[in-house]
Amino acid sequence: MKIGLEIHFQLPTLTKLFCSCPTKASEPNESICPTCLGFPGSRPSLNKKAFTLALMIAKRLQCKIPDVTWFSRKTYFYPDLPKNFQITQYESPLGIDGQFVNNGKIIHIQRVHLEEDPGKIKRVGKPSEEISLIDYNRSGIPLVEIVTAPDISSPKEARDFIAVLLDDIRSLVGISGEDEQSVRVDANISVAEERVEVKNILGLKNLENALEFEYARQSKLIKAGKKVLRETRRYDEERKVTLPAREKEFEEDYGYILEPDLGVFNIKELAETLVLCETPLMRAERISREFELPFEKAKIIGKSPVLASIFQEAVAKFSKQEVLTLLFEQIIPNWSSFEKRITDDAVGKLGEIIEAILSGALPSADGRRMLVSYLRGTEFMQGGTDFDREKIVEQVDAIIRKRPEVLRDYAENKRAANFIVGQLMKIYRGKIPSEEIAKIVFEEMDKRASQ
Amino acid sequence: MNEKFHIFSELISEEQLQKIKKGFKFHFSAKDNLCTIDFQTRAGSKILDGYRPPFDATPVKRLRESGGLLIGKTNMDEFGFGSFCMNSSYGVPLNPFDPERSCGGSSGGAAAAVSLINEHVALAVSTGGSISCPACFCGVIGITPTYGRVSRYGLIDYANSLDKVGLICRSASDLEKYLPIIMGPDSHDPTSCCQPVYKPKKPRIKRMCIPSAALEGIDNDIESALEVAIEIIREQLAIDVEEVDMPSLKFALPAYYVLATSEASTNLARYSGMRFGVISDATNEHFNKFFSEIRSELFGKEAKRRILLGTHCRRVGFRDRYYLKALAVRQMIRKEFKKLFCEYDLVMTPTMPFKAPRFSEIEKMKPLEVYKADFLTIPPNLVGLPHISMPCGYPDGIPAGFQLIAPFWEEERLIHFAKLWEEVFSYKFPEGIS
Repeated sequence: MKIGLEIHFQLPTLTKLFCSCPTKASEPNESICPTCLGFPGSRPSLNKKAFTLALMIAKRLQCKIPDVTWFSRKTYFYPDLPKNFQITQYESPLGIDGQFVNNGKIIHIQRVHLEEDPGKIKRVGKPSEEISLIDYNRSGIPLVEIVTAPDISSPKEARDFIAVLLDDIRSLVGISGEDEQSVRVDANISVAEERVEVKNILGLKNLENALEFEYARQSKLIKAGKKVLRETRRYDEERKVTLPAREKEFEEDYGYILEPDLGVFNIKELAETLVLCETPLMRAERISREFELPFEKAKIIGKSPVLASIFQEAVAKFSKQEVLTLLFEQIIPNWSSFEKRITDDAVGKLGEIIEAILSGALPSADGRRMLVSYLRGTEFMQGGTDFDREKIVEQVDAIIRKRPEVLRDYAENKRAANFIVGQLMKIYRGKIPSEEIAKIVFEEMDKRASQ
Repeated sequence: MNEKFHIFSELISEEQLQKIKKGFKFHFSAKDNLCTIDFQTRAGSKILDGYRPPFDATPVKRLRESGGLLIGKTNMDEFGFGSFCMNSSYGVPLNPFDPERSCGGSSGGAAAAVSLINEHVALAVSTGGSISCPACFCGVIGITPTYGRVSRYGLIDYANSLDKVGLICRSASDLEKYLPIIMGPDSHDPTSCCQPVYKPKKPRIKRMCIPSAALEGIDNDIESALEVAIEIIREQLAIDVEEVDMPSLKFALPAYYVLATSEASTNLARYSGMRFGVISDATNEHFNKFFSEIRSELFGKEAKRRILLGTHCRRVGFRDRYYLKALAVRQMIRKEFKKLFCEYDLVMTPTMPFKAPRFSEIEKMKPLEVYKADFLTIPPNLVGLPHISMPCGYPDGIPAGFQLIAPFWEEERLIHFAKLWEEVFSYKFPEGIS
């Protein structure tokens, strides 16, 4: 089974690809102008931000970047397409022959290009009186299209690949996780020889479902000795099936010509000077390579640039194994709590603590406790000296008085004491290390149980 | 005046004109394919009937901002498709020198307006010669600046890589005055944004050439008018005029029609009865039928011919043979011009191979013959070079014109030559109005 994907993804710009209309709108047809409506005499001016972002993506996907690029007109008649041609890139994509490594497997990228989105058709009303409304807010929204070679071999893999790819691109071009953007995919799938194209699938779940349906459908045909037709299909989300696409113009010739209003862009210099920020995935790949770490481990470290730099600094001075132990046992389990309060000062202080532990300046057990408290943002008190042991013993007595069965159970099963530890931890809210509390509780319980 | 000559497709009323004229420094007209907020903009086509654009084309805006009063929209061939200005849905303008003759296309109305109205300047548009041709037939001056010199924002496109906004006027001093106003970069048109600054100066014009291919197949009376003109140029202006070979010239015409119609067929796709101009109410039909019906009904014959030709040239299998080949021809001609400009300051040709033809004669011409009439104006247009057409004689009282082509961005050579020419040649105008 071979799957090739054409992934359409919206770029995070404030304005549209060829005009200055905002990309966000609350009411239908609110963000429109003569250009994105294709009025006579209006013409496109390229949004440089969109262009640069798309170029970054092409570069990230290790594509070859040509010296010059231009746009083309793809002509077809459809009500959502204001000019009845779409400005896209046909002969001259921003990047070709790239690759993306997902889970150790290379997926080849055939091309990356930039294009404008058409409008959106909404059908309303009862079936017999249905009317079509068109919202042109989407017209001219910048899309990047990524086309893969048919290197993917299962629906699950396709879904996983896009999820990882999009995650990576989002962090590259600066889209936060909350700013969830939809992805539209055209999938080419062949179980045997013949290739079927499923157009316009919205979202990853639908993609996986559509591909699974196609796999089953094509396999069934082949088993029955029938031929798979080379055709274009669409995915029906409600019925979870693919159906032959009604519109013939998808198969038609689009009569591409150059877009004369935009001219030719010399991009060699821009492409060369463009420096990509390191994405978590790129970081993981580098860390795994440079420090000879298993990729899964590198991925965890690479997720945060701060964590990665802490790791790198520590590894430069101390033994890799010790650093990794500290990282995976103390730091990473508490990282999310620290990340919320991150500042340059905090990172500096953290570095000092780590250095103190690894250099032996701090006794290991205390040092590690201090580290955890620091990460969690709780006050650290060194064991035994700074708290009132007598008071804790009184509190243990009080709990046993209220719940005498705990002591009885303790004789059978020492874990019964955890109830008291829990109660005390609530009282001290991290002011005393839990190990200290547990130590006292178990000592006291042992004393009482043996009486 | 308009009732007699059909120059304007829409015009300010005489009353209004007299009332508001005082506050303005000058008056001008705009070809009907330039968007204007106060007049309909129909580009000579029925399909845009009733269309009022929400914005002014940049050249219109710039003339208004300099104190100009827009008095009307001049008649034109539908979307610029034609050489004789007979393809408009809003009347055929008549030649001021002889109402039985054509004004030339596609800016026929603009040239006729300048020929008839004193102190008038007209915004016109050229794709393959639509400024030169009517200027020649109507005995006025038409300048087509370098491609990209004047913003095309607000120009209803015929073929974007060829379209140029220019001026039709009566004298070199008008050119000097009005051309700088409309020139210059405009952020709404990226192709205007990389032009060098226009510096009016007195260039030296010492040598000109005429490609010998430009003299083949032109009428005798045009040839003799040109010969006389060349003698004047040589003797009175002391400019050397030589005949040269320019073998690529004959490929310009086919390359032009392939490129122009390919682009036109995509530009015209938007006229579908859905968003502006005529809106079809056949809303319960399938969209293919909806689009086809309104386009069949409202596009003129020439528009349909060019859409079909252009669509054919773009199709898979034909694209390489026609469209891409035409792009290569354009490069070749550009190179040949460049070579000529190493030696000569200007390239000269007649503007049109014959005088303004009578309507009765045009009716007998086949479309291909009509296309061929533009073989002299097409080469500079195809490569985007600035050029000017000026009257150079009046055989039988009807104007003949010559065309001068300058290197890219050297409009001042053309204006300077026009000044020199006016010192030795006097123009004739029909009796008009002021």
